[in-house]
Amino acid sequence: MHLKYFTLFIFSLVFSILFSQKSESLVPKDAVTVFSINNFKLLQKISLDDLISYEFMEEIHQELFDGSTSGKSLKEAGIDFDQKLNVFSGRLNDCEISGFSFGIKNKEQLFTVFDDFYPVSYPKINGIEVYGSFVNSLIIKNEVALLIRVEPLIEQVNKVADSIWYARGNEIPFNNEDLEEETILSEEIFDEERENLFPVASFDPNEKNYNELKDSVQLVLQNKKLANILDELFNQNINLIASNRLFEKQLTHPVEAVFFLDNARNLKEPNELWYLQTFFPDINKDIDGLYDGNFILGDLSIIDNKVEFNIEVLYNENLGSIYQELSNSSFDSKVLKYIPESSTAYFTSNMNLREAYEKAFEVIMPLLEKKNDSEMAINLLTAELLNEFVDKDALFGTCKGSLFGFFNGIKKIKIKKIEYVYDENFNYITQSTDADEDMPIFTFGFSIDRTDIPEKVFKHLERSNLKIVNMGNYWRYDNAILDAAPLYMISKNGLFLFTNDEDLAINHSQGYGDKSISHSNIKKAMNSNLIYASVDVGTSLKLFPVDLLGAKENQLIESLRGKTGIIELKTTKAKKKNANMQLVYSDFSDDQTGKHLLDLINAIYVASK
Amino acid sequence: MKKIIFIFFIPCLFIFQSCIEIIDDLTIHKDGSGVLKYTINLSASKVRVNSILALDSLDGAKVPSISEIKKKIELFKQTLALQKGITNVQITENYTDFIFKFECTFINVNLLQEGLQMSYSVISNDKSNVNSNFTWLYLDSKKLKRSVPELTTERLKKISQKDNELLKTGSYISITRFDHLIERFDNPLSKISKDKKALMLKTNIYSLKEKQSLLENTIYLISD
Repeated sequence: MHLKYFTLFIFSLVFSILFSQKSESLVPKDAVTVFSINNFKLLQKISLDDLISYEFMEEIHQELFDGSTSGKSLKEAGIDFDQKLNVFSGRLNDCEISGFSFGIKNKEQLFTVFDDFYPVSYPKINGIEVYGSFVNSLIIKNEVALLIRVEPLIEQVNKVADSIWYARGNEIPFNNEDLEEETILSEEIFDEERENLFPVASFDPNEKNYNELKDSVQLVLQNKKLANILDELFNQNINLIASNRLFEKQLTHPVEAVFFLDNARNLKEPNELWYLQTFFPDINKDIDGLYDGNFILGDLSIIDNKVEFNIEVLYNENLGSIYQELSNSSFDSKVLKYIPESSTAYFTSNMNLREAYEKAFEVIMPLLEKKNDSEMAINLLTAELLNEFVDKDALFGTCKGSLFGFFNGIKKIKIKKIEYVYDENFNYITQSTDADEDMPIFTFGFSIDRTDIPEKVFKHLERSNLKIVNMGNYWRYDNAILDAAPLYMISKNGLFLFTNDEDLAINHSQGYGDKSISHSNIKKAMNSNLIYASVDVGTSLKLFPVDLLGAKENQLIESLRGKTGIIELKTTKAKKKNANMQLVYSDFSDDQTGKHLLDLINAIYVASK
Repeated sequence: MKKIIFIFFIPCLFIFQSCIEIIDDLTIHKDGSGVLKYTINLSASKVRVNSILALDSLDGAKVPSISEIKKKIELFKQTLALQKGITNVQITENYTDFIFKFECTFINVNLLQEGLQMSYSVISNDKSNVNSNFTWLYLDSKKLKRSVPELTTERLKKISQKDNELLKTGSYISITRFDHLIERFDNPLSKISKDKKALMLKTNIYSLKEKQSLLENTIYLISD
């Protein structure tokens, strides 16, 4: 008898371990990017306030950052640290989804954080508790939870709202065609016309105006999509694990965190390749096939106080053949003597553009030739003619594909400024004076065989533009940078360089010699086939002028600002179906490994958005 | 070519020493009429200004294009020229060194203040400015009282902490000239000219932000 109960107990235990729902099973199949943190215990000491300040938490940030998290750590949030934390996002054709799934240890504690959520009924889905807030939904099933935000795309909302609006016999909701942009500057005119800019509320309180209708449509689409996702997850057991073997396999890796990006779907985002999608939708559709099977998989591990991010890029044979040709080049070691040891951030990139171009032409043209329409025929003809008539030897002899660049800190440069000088009666005149200004110093260069081509270009430009001066060893383009600082162009030793570093132009046009980067760094750069990059986070990012970069780059740099350590990117030669990269974050000055793991996750999240 | 260079070197801005110089130069004649000259000199920050102008937005706010700035300036000029008691409105714009000079003549200081307030309200699309306290000049036959308009103090307060370092390098110079001789003045930071007909007050913009009363002054004149 006892044996019977014992067997039953063991069987139940094994069954519950094997088949109980885990947090990762709540990642919807539509997720494009997923971070799954295995070693969640590392994050126990991190305060909730710190956690939700990361960009990868931004979607739920407003929801949680309402004071309910103040002074609490993750440990006090009722979260089960023996389960994975899975952060996901994805943009579909009709909506964007984002959120995270996690295990629950103490539901009561959990609701001290998610204190604004109210119960919502989803009768068609059994065994779950659904809670809603202003924009997010919290779904709990047994010991796992999913916090999800579903946002219908505005284009989709407009499309549905318009169709309902016009089907009801309404006129154009916005009567603003007579209002020219310039007149808006005048406040009085703007006020008079303001009423035409927005739909007027109906006299019938039960009849919605256009904006109210749009809000309703948005809500209905949001609920419909959420209901679909919940039906798939909880009734049909369709999730990302079930629909993608790569993700399933990725989750089994014994590392601190894993990363998954379905790049084929990521590339289809409306923001990406927009030009191609808008003007050549057919070409885009066919080129889509080129990216089928393009996944980026990453393992984040902590080894000896280093955070390592090992990335594998998977692609199909067509794309692989192009990448293989691209990486089929020998390293141009000449570039290394132009990178000074003092540089705190630099990259080298070694590509065979000629071979990659030839292969891309060979692979892409047959794909496009399958399309049988006149517009495509003209595009193909143009491409064929350019391929025949353009002197590819000259083109790829000028830009072969080996590139490098470095940031060499801040230096003083001279600019002219206008000053006012006052006499004894405070009358004033202007005078031009020299001023020292701090300027970040950048250099970009590439390998070149046809040095005669830039010689020709600058010889003629010098005659037509007085600001370009041949200085013998280099050309100087006065006030080229933001109308204030000169740009130097140097063609030496089979390299062509653009720099704003006067010292490099005057004193180091043959390279930095023994002041160039160390032998160990040279070796690393040469061993990293396609790209090598090294950034001293502490010094470079402190000096880097982020406030005037683009929003995304700014966000990426801001996400690492204030941190210390070295970030290195290494790559291997592209193979037929995959390529590997490694990002290492090391030498940080403290022992907050969990925090650095989050820093790196955050930087990767921002970069992959 | 320049466009390519711009893209490559957009991060190359002058980050720490950008500064702004503002000169307000007010002349008051015996009959109460006068001339206001206002100069904004950004030549020492022209790289930063050029960099900002190349962006679509900065800190979440839209960056206007030069043509939009020109339109606003033109609107301000046209509006001010229509105001009662204000004539000879001139604005010089230098987009190479980023120096902007404004000048107008006025019949009396009250009409000057009203005209400026109205014009500012129009270009800022904010009618509430019309009702705010915009009086910073009070003149009678024996004295002139100067302060800082409430609007300016409110604007200064909105400048974020992170820009404080930039403000410390910027200067604000206030000059007040008279046909009369100056007898005395209240603000000890003022300097009097050799001919005793002008006063100059110089401060940095950060100090002005922190203490708006720095520019307050009562200037007593010697009657004829």
